[in-house]
Amino acid sequence: MSAREFLAGLRAEVESHPGVNHLILARLSMVPFTREDYKVMGLQHYPLVGTFTTYLEHLLLHGPDSDSKQWIAKVLVDEYGEGSDGKDHAELYREFLASCGAAPGQELETPLHPAIPSFIDEHLRIVTQEPFLVGLGALGPGHEWSIPRMFQQILRGLRRACFEEREINYFSLHVEQDKDHGRWLEEALERLSESSEAQAQVRRGARLSLEARARFWSGVQQKIVRWRQPNTMHTRPQNAKGWEALSEITLREYRKHASLERGRVA
Amino acid sequence: MRILLVQPAAFEPGRLGLENCLWMSEPVALTSLAAMVPEHEVRILDMRLEPDAELNRVLLEFKPDLVGTTSMTTDCYQAKAVLAIAKGTVGPGCFTIVGGHHPTLSPEAFEEDVVDALCLGEGEDTFKELVEHLAAGRSRHELQGIDGLRFRGADGGFHTTPKRAQSRDIDTFPPAARHLIPERYRSEYFFFIASPMASIFTSRGCSFDCNFCAIWEFYERRTRFMSASAICDRLEQIPEKYVFLLDDNFLTSRKRLEELCDEIEKRGIRKYLLTQGRADFIAENPDLMRRLRQCGLMMVLSGYETNDDSTLEELRKKSTREQNMKATSILRELGIISTGIFMVRPEFSERDFDLLYDTVNEMGIPLPLVTILTPLPGTQMYRARQQELLTRDVRLFDLLHAVLPTTLPRRKFYEKYEQFGRSTWPSIKSGFWNALHRRPGLFLRSLPGILRFRKKFLRYNKVSSDVQSWLRDEVGIISIDAMAPPAPPRVELPVLEEVRS
Repeated sequence: MSAREFLAGLRAEVESHPGVNHLILARLSMVPFTREDYKVMGLQHYPLVGTFTTYLEHLLLHGPDSDSKQWIAKVLVDEYGEGSDGKDHAELYREFLASCGAAPGQELETPLHPAIPSFIDEHLRIVTQEPFLVGLGALGPGHEWSIPRMFQQILRGLRRACFEEREINYFSLHVEQDKDHGRWLEEALERLSESSEAQAQVRRGARLSLEARARFWSGVQQKIVRWRQPNTMHTRPQNAKGWEALSEITLREYRKHASLERGRVA
Repeated sequence: MRILLVQPAAFEPGRLGLENCLWMSEPVALTSLAAMVPEHEVRILDMRLEPDAELNRVLLEFKPDLVGTTSMTTDCYQAKAVLAIAKGTVGPGCFTIVGGHHPTLSPEAFEEDVVDALCLGEGEDTFKELVEHLAAGRSRHELQGIDGLRFRGADGGFHTTPKRAQSRDIDTFPPAARHLIPERYRSEYFFFIASPMASIFTSRGCSFDCNFCAIWEFYERRTRFMSASAICDRLEQIPEKYVFLLDDNFLTSRKRLEELCDEIEKRGIRKYLLTQGRADFIAENPDLMRRLRQCGLMMVLSGYETNDDSTLEELRKKSTREQNMKATSILRELGIISTGIFMVRPEFSERDFDLLYDTVNEMGIPLPLVTILTPLPGTQMYRARQQELLTRDVRLFDLLHAVLPTTLPRRKFYEKYEQFGRSTWPSIKSGFWNALHRRPGLFLRSLPGILRFRKKFLRYNKVSSDVQSWLRDEVGIISIDAMAPPAPPRVELPVLEEVRS
């Protein structure tokens, strides 16, 4: 199979994947969710926003040659803030959270559904332990091809909830930027995925990423459902219950744990 | 053609809703459609019983050419989400259609880019013609020859075809394709202790015109009945012991019911039957009710609505409090479980709640259900009161939320409303003991259903016994401070002597 045929097939696979067509995304686009619902979604999503650059940085180190590193470097520049008035994406996202009514710092103290840390762990594992092309498949097709489709659905819901354009800049920026990233990526992948072995690695990376993404959205869905349930009212507004609660950690705790892990490895 | 018919899920699993605890019927609308196109490969997916990801999995594996779904008012967003996923997963070539009450009565709510067509009114013949048209490879944008459709034309806009006459003899519809219901679902359909339960229609429409109900508008005031022999043919094909006759008003024609009893007796059909029927019919036909009980009738769901005649008149119910009392007394005497639906009105004071609960207790109904008066889209009441609505978010049109301003502060309103289970406990207790005493065999045979109901009830009780379940649902949608404007100050009329002087 030529690289071009492979990429066309892979794109179709990505676009029809449950991670990209998750029920919560369709709900976001169809249901008049409120700012409160979006706050719950955003607080769960935020940890992913801050870590994408970390994955890219790791992958950059593993790039076999400068050709393969070019795409990563170009995307990194965008992620660091070019095209968004110097604001990095985490900063943009915090502005969105503020417009949903989140208090400053709430993103660090919110208990996360286990699927969220697991998503980050899985991607860190992919970019550090798997072959380079698996990592490229996860961050490239797994992210850049899927995000514009997912975010278009979210944007539709955000606009219905009467968010102003400046408040949802993070999402609209990604729809545009990631189209560019996807195009750059396609050029890179055409060169790198000529052999069937390379194609299998890229596909494997994309699938791993999208499967983690589907679990992530299921976690977000559970959070949105649960926060309107009475037993989670007031005292622990977004916590899980019982045994499930034991596996929920905040982003602050996760980062502390991750830095300890890094120290242990070093 | 490969056709996937999807029953949408209740919006948020585990939130307030009867399907959690009391009632979940099989997707009769979908099996009825499936029966019309036996030459095609049809699958049925009930998302009320599946994890979210199952829809994606089935779409990827089955790759349907057509995805159809159905929608009551509260299912509107979920139905559209199902079609959005179908388009996203299978691609824009997958034809999507939605039918049911809400698309028929509020078609504008479904005019989205993920919807190719809406089936308006009764769906069977429309669906069959649509499938034949598409299977023949004809254009999906040229559907003007099919009556009862609202479809997306080549210009991107929606077009409506002439209304389909809803006059077909319902005996001539093929029996619902129940064989397409996956085996794993069958034990999940239930009403109270009746489980596993099948459901069928034996009539369509209602000849009454209550102003809070859209059934008679949907069926244009006509009622069509299935013959006794056709009903019994269907009952004989059903393996389940319990059968819910889903008719909007089963207890209408005395002659038909007598014929049905004759036929059931002649064929020796032994099923437990559950149904919906009016209290005035029960009150006026105690002998027939006795006969129906002998033919297996175990439960009747009736809309008693309220405890005073003036409100019944206002609702155009055409029944009286006295008839309601007489009906419950007849059902008690026969050991038929009465499920009585009552309505709390937004203008209720605390005393009104108490009076209603007292009436329920006086009636001794084993399964009282208290709903909140809701102007459902398509009803006379909606047209009259739509300006007063606090929200148009259809998730809250589930008869369990007050979408009209309440006279009591909302928290207090829901506190009183939430108490109904505890406040009507004397009725539940006496109703049950009475039914158990009169029909021990029924309860003995329903033991697995009783245990199952108990489990569901205990789980759901955590949600339904906490006033925050209601308030939390409304955060960001209806202000906690939303109240009806205070009534104008009462003008004290001068006494007669003062007028004379």
